[in-house]
Order: sequence, then structure tokens, then C-alpha cells
Amino acid sequence: MRLYAESSKCSGCHACLVACSLNLFKENNPKKAALTILPQFPAPGVYEVEVCTQCGECAAVCPTNAIQKNTKGAYFVDYAECNLCEACVPVCPENVMFVRSGLAETAWKCDLCGDCIAVCGTDVLRIGEIQAKA
Amino acid sequence: MSAQIKALGIIKSYIGGKNEIIVDAGNTVRETMRALNIPPDVVALVLVNDTQQSKDYRVQDGDVVKLLAVVGGG
Amino acid sequence: MMNGYGGNILRVNLTTGKITKEPTSPELASDFIGGRGFGAYFLFKEVPKGADPLGPENKLIVSSGPLSGLMIPGAGKCDFTCKSPLTGGYASASLGGIFTAEIKYAGLDSIILEGISPKPVYLCIDDDKIELRDASSLWGKGTFATEKELKEKLGEEFQIACVGPGAENGVLYAHINHDYGRQAGRGGVGTVMGAKKVKAIALRGTKPIPVADLDAYRKAGMALFDACKKSELLKPWQNLGTTMVVSWCDEIGALPTRNFSAGSFEGGKTLYGPYMREKIVITDKGCFACPSPCGKYSRMKRYGTNVEGPEYETIGMIGSNLGLAEIEDVAQANLLCDDWGIDTISAGGAIAWAMECYEKGIFARADTDGLELEFGNVEAVFKLIEKIAKREGLGALLAEGTKRAAQKVGKGSEKFAIQVKGMEQSAYATHNATAMLLAYMTADVGAHHNRAWAITYDLQVGRELVNADKVARVIWLQHLRPMFDTLGACRLQWVELNIDLELYPPALEAITGVKRSWQDLHLVSERIWNLTRMYWAREQKDFGRAWDMPSPRFYTEPPKSGVTKGQITKLDDVNKMLDMYYEQRGWTANGLPKPETLERLGLTMLVA
Repeated sequence: MRLYAESSKCSGCHACLVACSLNLFKENNPKKAALTILPQFPAPGVYEVEVCTQCGECAAVCPTNAIQKNTKGAYFVDYAECNLCEACVPVCPENVMFVRSGLAETAWKCDLCGDCIAVCGTDVLRIGEIQAKA
Repeated sequence: MSAQIKALGIIKSYIGGKNEIIVDAGNTVRETMRALNIPPDVVALVLVNDTQQSKDYRVQDGDVVKLLAVVGGG
Repeated sequence: MMNGYGGNILRVNLTTGKITKEPTSPELASDFIGGRGFGAYFLFKEVPKGADPLGPENKLIVSSGPLSGLMIPGAGKCDFTCKSPLTGGYASASLGGIFTAEIKYAGLDSIILEGISPKPVYLCIDDDKIELRDASSLWGKGTFATEKELKEKLGEEFQIACVGPGAENGVLYAHINHDYGRQAGRGGVGTVMGAKKVKAIALRGTKPIPVADLDAYRKAGMALFDACKKSELLKPWQNLGTTMVVSWCDEIGALPTRNFSAGSFEGGKTLYGPYMREKIVITDKGCFACPSPCGKYSRMKRYGTNVEGPEYETIGMIGSNLGLAEIEDVAQANLLCDDWGIDTISAGGAIAWAMECYEKGIFARADTDGLELEFGNVEAVFKLIEKIAKREGLGALLAEGTKRAAQKVGKGSEKFAIQVKGMEQSAYATHNATAMLLAYMTADVGAHHNRAWAITYDLQVGRELVNADKVARVIWLQHLRPMFDTLGACRLQWVELNIDLELYPPALEAITGVKRSWQDLHLVSERIWNLTRMYWAREQKDFGRAWDMPSPRFYTEPPKSGVTKGQITKLDDVNKMLDMYYEQRGWTANGLPKPETLERLGLTMLVA
């Protein structure tokens, strides 16, 4: 299972980011969220949403095995095991592997909690089966 | 031939608190509202099968007509 | 650290360059809560009596609220308060977008701009790294180019609030832009920022916002989101936003037409919401944490441009009020106002007044710089917007607002300057709608609709009815609606989606740790309302009843066409309503708060 985002429906509200940071860090801080909204203004005038596809590339390169699968089958970061080496960041094809040592002493990523979906009013997000690449 | 009128928000109070009511098709939305004692002016938006229509739209068999008032405005 | 708050008031003395922070006082938070409450308090307390609105003694107070930046629907509203250059009284404008959230993440509740900078600057806030930076290369640029340049220079995470050439040139109703399409629009809040030579505020914060009870807050926030998403009104509202009411207002005689000479516009159909959606809308754009985005980002193929909008007010004031029938033209005019940086509502009001002057022969083509200022002339509107922003030719006169312009020109033009207290009336024609008329008469910033909106109520109980219940309704709305501006969140989830108001107090309590019922909140609103009334009384000589009178058009000139043809309110009824309003508010017959009212609200010391 993974998160899917239909970017064309995104209104740029950031509610998903706050819900996410509350889940991952119990904090109201959208800069510690595990998905990204990229506004493209003034032209073309749309938002792009980047989400984790649960591809596992991050887990494959992590030298401390800090990235494991949770009960939902989603990759998550075990904060206790992360040593901030940042090996995971450049291998993420969606740019949703986050390390900001000023904000947290661990890398972080989407753990498929689904809270983002609960607060999205325009049906951008859903959780579905991982589709095999063509 | 009949249609369904769905009363949203305060419009419910004009039809005895009901959410919806079945009416005859063939009349305009305006005529239908008058027959139900809903003052046409109070209805800000008429959606027929989820598309905005004017109050002069003639209601057809099977239409779902939502009547909406703007209580709060801008 | 105060739960629900950023925690600090930032003071920026532009004259000396000194920047200081002080902790937000818990008493202030208790008595005035935040947002426009903080704005009203600092304005009354710190801007001295008689201050020149464009001078160093005026302050621009930018305030977030306890709901801002949190997981609460619509938690994206920011208040801008100052002494108004347009009216000489109280100005407060509300900005949507993301800016208010960022204020909280930077550990702030209010940013107070004081003095005047010797050179153009922008204020750069990056968490605790705060400095004034040279803005000479940005000065003169439009708001879109300014925001783009600052975001490219500083990073996409920075939220930008900026002014355009309109503010730099001193147009008295210049506004502040943010997020490519949201504004703090009315009363000249942008003018004050421009007078202080502050081109922009660039802001980034990476701190979390503390809350009192995390689990209760998450639960209460989710309940609010759930209510919004389950509302039957969500989808229609998302689809059309405020443009939903254009056709309806046209039908009921509320759509301002040709300088409010009527309330229905025969060309109106090509301004309606569904037509607009199909013709130009490309994205639904929303503010912070809003599940019901009302913003309609549009592409005008005819002009090759984009704009966020137009929303109802601009459609009314620049569309039907100027006789413009095609939405794409209105959208382009909207863009010009936004980029030059002037309020679309006041600009529309001023241009409409000028068009009526032209129609009546008060202006000849020599007075209009050769423009054929006829209602419906699109090109003239585009040119005049630019002239106003540059204060050139006729634009210099119109840049002062219709009250001053009409005083200068005379010849009976004062009779059709559609304004109250010096602020142009916003887009609801009130020839025969007594609650809404009273709302415009008594709004605290001048003739603005967002304090009390009573259009449906007038139709439900009877347009021409004048009674104590109507007056009570207006007062209730004047406390309820602005409370959202005080809390730092949008009221439209309640207003448009009809969600249960009782969902808010548990959220507020979980966030701040302070239990408040709506009754408690109404009292705070009443306190703010009376404080700003006392501010007017202090600043305007002979302030009183005369300042609450509507434009005479609404009691002397029944429309000659449209739905409200032949209908007009009687002057007798205008006065009756005002009498009842003052009585219900605990004010004197001249409209000033009585001592016992001030005492009840705990204001006696502050206003002494």
C-alpha cells in the first residue's frame, strides 16, 4: 500500500503537512511533514504534490537499518537508529526523504498513517495498492 | 412524472424541517418553490443534478433539485 | 511560552533601525485574544491622538491569532490594523493565505512597524534572524514581480507580503499582497506600509506551535475537518466560491450597477459563476488549512495573463458597478489592481463615481485626460486603474477616495459618492434592504460588508421592515463574524458550509488551555467594537451620528430599472434604525459609548 496524490486537485492549503507533523513528531510544524507541496505561481498556476511511493530505495541504502516496514507494510524511520548520515536523501526518486538536522535529530518519511487524507478537503490523497511499474 | 427537491440548510425550515420532498415534474423551479411556500428570493443557488440552473428551469422527470440559501455571505 | 501563541511581539522601529522582541502579555491574550483584538489594542494605546496616518507616529500592526497555523479548518487569517489614511479612523484588513501561520512558526504573534525608514527596505524574518534589508531594487516593481523575486532569492519557504507602486505613490486605498492573489485590501493598510518605505515582509519560521492538550486538540480539529467534509454545501462552494452569489444578487437587486444606481445588471449573465468557471478558472486555490478553497485562479486567454479571482466583490465593483459585462475583462482589471497594488473595491467605487460625473457632464473629456469615461468602457477602466496607481491626471483625484474627490469637485457629486466614513461601499446595493443598510452604516472601518452580512435575513423577514429584531441581528453578526478575525481563522467554513459553531470552543480550549464559550467570545468582540468606536471618537472631530449616515442615494433615489425599481428606504427609517442601534449598544443618541457600557467591558482605564 502507498499514498497517491492527484495534484490537479490540490489547493495548496498545507493541512496535510500539519496533520503529518503531528503524527510523526507530535508537533504543529508543517516543515516536519513527509510530503511536499510545490506551488507553481504565477504561472502555470497549479500545485504539485510529492508523496512517498514506498519504493524502498531509502531502506536499501540505510547503513544502520533504521528504515524498516511497519504493520501497514510501509517503510518508516526508527528515530533511535538513524545517525543522520543522509544516504537516503539523494536516492529517493520523489524527494520525500527528509533530513533537517536543525529541526530533528533523525531523518523522517511517510509512515502511511493516513491523517493527511482526513484533513484534505479536495480529495487529493488516497491510499491504494502499489501498482507494478509498466 | 416526479422529481426530488433537496432542501439544504435553512431551506429545510420552509418544508417542515424535512431534508427532501417529492414533487410533480413539469413546472419551473420558481413555480415549484412557490407551491412549497419557499420564497424564491431566499434561495441563492439551484443545482439540478449538481449543475447550476436558473429558477426558470423546467423540472424534468427524475431530476434531483438542490435548493440552497446563503445564510452567511461573504 | 503560551499555548496557542507564537509568544512574542516584534517591534521594528524603521526610523532608527532598532528591532526588539517582547513576550506576548497573558493579560493581552486574555482580554483581546489575538488578531484584530491585538490590532485594536495597540492602535488605541500606542498611536497618539491626531497622528498623521502617513507619518512616523502611525503604526502598522500585523497580528496572527490563536487558531492560526494549526490543524483547524481555515486557520489562515492575518489582521493588519493601523490608522487609516483613507478615512482618518480605524482600519483593519484581513489577509488570507499562509502568512499568518508563518508568523506563529517564527515564534511571533504581532509584528509592529513603527516610524519611517529613510530608504526603501524589506523586513526579513528567518526565525530569530531578523533584519531590515535594502529594497531599492524592488521599489517600483509590481506585487507579482516582487513576490517572485523574493521567493527566488530567499527560498520557496518564505512567505511574502508586499506592496505595489500604488502604495509607494500614496494611493489612499493601496493594499498588501501575498501568495500571488490574496490581499489585506481595505482602508489603506498598504498605503501605510508604503509610507513607511517597507516594500515587503519576508517571513519564515520553523518552530512548532505549542498547545495545551495535544490529544484533545487533534480530536477537536479532526471533528471540525470532518464536519466540513460532510457538509452538503462543500462541493457547490468549492466549485464556485463567492461567485456563487453573483446570479442571486442580480436576481434580488443587490448587485451594484452603474455606481449603485440600480441593483440588477442587464448585462450580468456573462459575469455569473458557472460561466466564469468554464471560461477562465484553472485551479481552486485556498488559504492555510482550508478544506473549502474559495479562491479561483484564472487564465485570461484574451490577455495572456493569470489572476487569482475575480471573487464576488471585484465582480460587483469592477464588473456590474462599472457596466462591464464580460468576466474576462473584469479578471484583467482585477489583475491590474492587484499588480499595481490597489483595493479593487475602493477603485471600483472611485471609477464608478467618476463615470457618473462624466455621464452628468460634471467631467468633460478635458477632465478625464481624454478618456471616454462611459459605463462599460473597458479600455478606459484599464487605463484609469493605472492612472490611479501612478496618481497621474484624473487618477490623482481618484486616488484620494470618493469622499475627498467629491468634496473637491462639488457640483452635487457628493450625493453620489457611495461611501460611509470615507470608505467606498462594498458590493451590495442597499436601496431596499434595511438590515444590510444598517450593517454598512455602522461597520467599524467604514462601508464594508464583512462585519455583518444580512442579505438573506432581509429577504426572510421583509426587506423594508425596521424593527428591534433586525437591529439585534446586525449587532449579533458584528460580534460573531469579526471574532474569527480575532482568532486568526476564516469564518467561511461556518458561514458557507453551515458547520456547527459549537465545534470551535473545544478546539480553542484544547489549544490555549483557556475555556471560553461563544458568550465569552461575544463579550471580547463587543469590547473590541467599543474600543474602535472610541478610537473614531478620539480621532475625528465631531464624530457621532452624522458619520453613520449612508450615502443619500439609498434614501432618495429609487432605482429606475431592475428588480428593485421604484424601491427605496425612507430617511425616517434610517434614523429609526440608528436610534435603536445606539440604544441596544448602550450608546448615546449621538452614537458614543456610554460610561457604563465602557465600564461593563473593562475599557474605562484604557480609553481614559
